[in-house]
Amino acid sequence: MDDRIVEFTHLLRRHGARVSLSEDIDAISALGILGIEDPSMFRDGLRATLIKRAADIRTFEELFDLFFLGLGAAVRESERDLMGQLGLTPQQYQELLEEIRRMLQRQPNLTPLARALLAGDLTQAERLIRQAIEREELEQAGGQIAVALYLRLAGRLALGTVEEELGSFREMALAGLDDPGHRQRLSRYLERRLQDLSRMVRDLLRQELKKRSIVASERERLEYLTQKSFAYYTEEDIQRMNEAVVRLAQRFKNLLTLRRRKARRGRFDLQETLRKNLQYGGVPFRIQLDRRKREKPQILILCDVSDSVLNASRFMLQFVYSVQDLYSKVRSFVFVSELGEVTRLFEDNDLQQAVELALKGEVVNVYSHSNFGRAFELFYREHFSSVNGKTTVMVIGDGRNNYNRPNDWVLKEIQRKAKRLIWLNPESRWKWGFGDSEMPRYAACCDVVEECGNLSQLHRVIERIAR
Amino acid sequence: MVFSSGEDVMKRLAEQQYLCSKNVATVVYLACAMRKPILVEGPAGVGKTELGKVLASALHLDLIRLQCYEGLDEAKALYEWEYAKQLLYTQILKDKIGEALAGSRTLQHAVERICSESDVFFSQKFLLPRPLLRAILSPAPTVLLIDEVDKSDTEFEAFLLEVLSDFQVSVPEIGTLKAIHSPFVILTSNNSREMSDALKRRCLHLYLDYPDPDRELEILKHKVPGVGDKLAADVVHLLHRLRKLELKKKPSISETLDWVKALTLLQIERLDHQLVEETLATLLKYEGDIRKAQKEMQEFLAERKAKLQAPAVASDKDFLH
Repeated sequence: MDDRIVEFTHLLRRHGARVSLSEDIDAISALGILGIEDPSMFRDGLRATLIKRAADIRTFEELFDLFFLGLGAAVRESERDLMGQLGLTPQQYQELLEEIRRMLQRQPNLTPLARALLAGDLTQAERLIRQAIEREELEQAGGQIAVALYLRLAGRLALGTVEEELGSFREMALAGLDDPGHRQRLSRYLERRLQDLSRMVRDLLRQELKKRSIVASERERLEYLTQKSFAYYTEEDIQRMNEAVVRLAQRFKNLLTLRRRKARRGRFDLQETLRKNLQYGGVPFRIQLDRRKREKPQILILCDVSDSVLNASRFMLQFVYSVQDLYSKVRSFVFVSELGEVTRLFEDNDLQQAVELALKGEVVNVYSHSNFGRAFELFYREHFSSVNGKTTVMVIGDGRNNYNRPNDWVLKEIQRKAKRLIWLNPESRWKWGFGDSEMPRYAACCDVVEECGNLSQLHRVIERIAR
Repeated sequence: MVFSSGEDVMKRLAEQQYLCSKNVATVVYLACAMRKPILVEGPAGVGKTELGKVLASALHLDLIRLQCYEGLDEAKALYEWEYAKQLLYTQILKDKIGEALAGSRTLQHAVERICSESDVFFSQKFLLPRPLLRAILSPAPTVLLIDEVDKSDTEFEAFLLEVLSDFQVSVPEIGTLKAIHSPFVILTSNNSREMSDALKRRCLHLYLDYPDPDRELEILKHKVPGVGDKLAADVVHLLHRLRKLELKKKPSISETLDWVKALTLLQIERLDHQLVEETLATLLKYEGDIRKAQKEMQEFLAERKAKLQAPAVASDKDFLH
């Protein structure tokens, strides 16, 4: 049983669950305590020892079913079936097996697979086949290639030879028997074994293919999502991204609070220390450090919500509002050519809804042509007073101005007054400056300019901003 | 202090009014037999902390609880020197100290004499044990419940690792203190932060989820004895629908119990009572959630009504599946 467990943990690892050696050992000792008779207890024991992340539970359940419940039940069923067909009691059946095993001892040159099959040791046969399958490269195996795979596998297992051996064993065995009933039973038995062989290979192969496809696809999809440009996201991708952004926000929060807590410790504060230690007769037992004032930054976001950069804006808004308690004030504006404030939306609605409303064109007309210059000018006229030395201003947009006036002087003004001006551009860097892109001009006015076109870039940007 | 099997766990926890599934029982039994900590994860309010408490009373052991929070450090979790007490003793014993030092001619000599007696001030007398040390020093075995371990910082987690792996603590002034009995440790986590692999590796993992309808019904009847069968069944069915909605905070078992207690107190026996909507605040904690729940409840009641008016074969059992 132990090596089955080890095999199972290998399988889990291949599917992305992190299982360490010590957990392997735990699993085996847990089974020593629980026993393996009760299937549900067996499953619970393995799960508690091997799987430590809630996210891996599904993988575990699926693989467990395939791995442990797969052929076992079918094989036992077929044994009983065979017994019935031959009209033997379990005891007589055992005697038959014994007899065959005796005969096998006189045949030293059989392949292991043939020997296991003939001796009725189907578990051993299953293991041999499984090993052969696992050695095969199944990477490219799709629906039709499975046939080619079957052939390759047959070659590896030398199925032809095994069949031949079964045949010759049969002749040999039958030649030594006189009783016709016994002969018939034996030949029935051997025939059945031949059927078992091809059925097992087929089933195991099918199982293996299924095993490999389950989780691999899931992980690939996530991987793919991190690299995929926001611009090409589908509805489903957006759903999944929401989860990713929530996780990212949580991590960012942890990071920042930890950093702030450390920064809070300041220099030695003589006055406070003396006062605090009056209770100890003036002996300075407790050292008081002065507390630095916690400076919560303010953040102001300007989001381009025209079609080309919609998704980048969506995730940035979602992100900033998920972590808004880290800031003393968050204000957000959206623009295409008009400028509209959406801060209120986030106060009145829950996050998801607010993001959708902000992007839907409730506030500004999203069907007009992008005009950064005009939006900046409007911002300068109406909201510039809200920028102060504590404000971090973040602009999200591709800088494609449709050949309008760029008005980059507004950015210069903002940069001069604000703590920091950050521009995030979802377009790839090599496109900046071509066509109607005013990016080089705008970039010159900003403190930080980053490309932010997919999830992994978003990660990087957030790490940088946190610093 | 051990359980003899999974069924034994179930039985003894049930005696403490805690109904658990076979899965939970198996893991608890296993942890007990393997002497490993259990890391319990799952949504809020499914009875993670309760499990720790109940285990202590089922095993007739003392419960020592350590509530984790951001900024929790060794001084609050493990031990602290009682400076004030030490100082007080020094003051009181001033004369004695004078006596002890009498006859020493040089300063050097005096220092050496004090040094030889320094054990007096750094003994366990002046050690203020915090939960972890209490669990280690306790003469009888204990259940150590480390609650919301995900709220603590990563540094603390690393420190915990050391304590959990060999149950010994080194105090520089005294030496190493080793546990007489290793405590039975339960860690709970709400998963607001992924715990490190190293910690997880040392624990058995238990994922507590919302119970299935049958079990929840059982729990309701167990915990709120006066509840009517019909009401309980309706509540459980409604809850399972509510949990499928997008809510800010999904109703947990403890909130359900509160709600049902409130309903029973008000002697409401059917969910279509007009007072029911007003009591929803015990079940849900956000205004938006309550609105959504009200809508869902209307639908639920309407559906049920339709079902009842249709040639009625529908028994209570059908609501549960």
